[in-house]
Amino acid sequence: MINFELIVKYLPLLLKGAITTLHIAAMSCFLGLTGGTLLALGQTQSSLIHASRLGKLRWAGSLLNYCISFYITIIRGTPMLIQIAFFYYAIIPALGLQISPLYAAIIAIGINSSAYISQVIRSGITSVDKGQLEAARVLGFSKMQSIRYIVLPQALRMVIPSLGNEFITLIKDSSLAYTIGVVELYKQGITMKSLTFDTMTTFTAVALIYLILTTVLSFVMNVIERKMNQHVKN
Amino acid sequence: MLKIEKLCKTFDHKKILNNIDLTVHKGEIAVLLGQSGVGKSTLLRVLNALETADTGTILLDGKALDLAKIPHEHTVGMVFQHFNLFEHLTVEQNITLALEKVMGKTDQESILIAQDLLQRYGLEGKNDMYVSQLSGGQKQRLAIARTLALKPKIVCLDEPTSALDPLLTTHVANTIQKLADEGYIVLVASHDVALLERLTCSIYLMQNGSIVESAKSDEFKHYKSKFPLISKFVAGEIE
Repeated sequence: MINFELIVKYLPLLLKGAITTLHIAAMSCFLGLTGGTLLALGQTQSSLIHASRLGKLRWAGSLLNYCISFYITIIRGTPMLIQIAFFYYAIIPALGLQISPLYAAIIAIGINSSAYISQVIRSGITSVDKGQLEAARVLGFSKMQSIRYIVLPQALRMVIPSLGNEFITLIKDSSLAYTIGVVELYKQGITMKSLTFDTMTTFTAVALIYLILTTVLSFVMNVIERKMNQHVKN
Repeated sequence: MLKIEKLCKTFDHKKILNNIDLTVHKGEIAVLLGQSGVGKSTLLRVLNALETADTGTILLDGKALDLAKIPHEHTVGMVFQHFNLFEHLTVEQNITLALEKVMGKTDQESILIAQDLLQRYGLEGKNDMYVSQLSGGQKQRLAIARTLALKPKIVCLDEPTSALDPLLTTHVANTIQKLADEGYIVLVASHDVALLERLTCSIYLMQNGSIVESAKSDEFKHYKSKFPLISKFVAGEIE
């Protein structure tokens, strides 16, 4: 059924694809985490501005909140496959830019991921006790310092399990980059299948490599979670 | 000397602070006594710029305090009811973070200040522990140490015994008394009669946002009948 000799023979090819897969996942994870954090901060801070009745700033807070909500609705409400294709085949040519399929995929997946990650981080930020911010304020921390040193470290600790899930999803979703011509793990699997005509062996090998990647990531996230939550009493 | 004059604060058309006049001298403890919701905590929050007063002035040594600048000048410090310690930081970091990031002190200077305070408040050897590993009393002493690290002139304590085991009240009272002995202006918001009995202080009974009666604790102990409202509160007769 499964030809292990074939797997060994084509392993270098598949590993080359796996490296590209990791490249896409890592870069889009960075984009998603950065964008998601900024979106989450924008959403939580604009809600605070709106609630604080700060005169003229109030409508600016509302506008920012609506813009972010609209962005998240669009990104979460459409398939990533369409977003990658739309970005590569429509937006990039419309802007007159020349970007390789690899970087187009990274940006598109990163944008998609930022919408999901923003909601994860937002839930973390809103679950940080209001008293923490008050304590920071009384101690003289500026708003930015309070976010940097008090709110975000605590928010991120709380959402590490959910972030781990998002990162695992990113590894799996990176296979969609194949649709715009990126030679990642799945595409290398297709090449192996064309050369060997052994579908069972090929996709078993590809699936196993994805499984190894996600399992290792899951283990790493567990270690990070344990380390970051060492302050919580057992 | 801290002098509060005609301080008013309204929330949703309800007067929370109504013409508060209060004078507290250096080394003196002022206990704001009263049931929950009478405005004790709001007064402390106004002093710490967590709320803005509608009208009134706050003078420290004859100079008007700019409430907007209080957090930056560290004139006033606050020990919160639930301590609000930074759970993700160690005991030492809870003290050093503001020293480094807000006051611009070096790591070495901050650590020395933290170690001195931790020793003074019986937390030596606990530098690397996390907040969740401390007992209630230790958390409160850390909250006080964190506040004092910034060298405020006024220390506010909001319901200092409410989150603690009743057995710790004497320890808390001793700590508060020590603050006054060290020359701080101390304001305590509390409804805990047991704490009141252990302090040498000025008592201000608050009702509906106003100070309705005041007394020196020694005077009150000897001439209870002169202070009918405080006596009733202490006896549990004021709802």
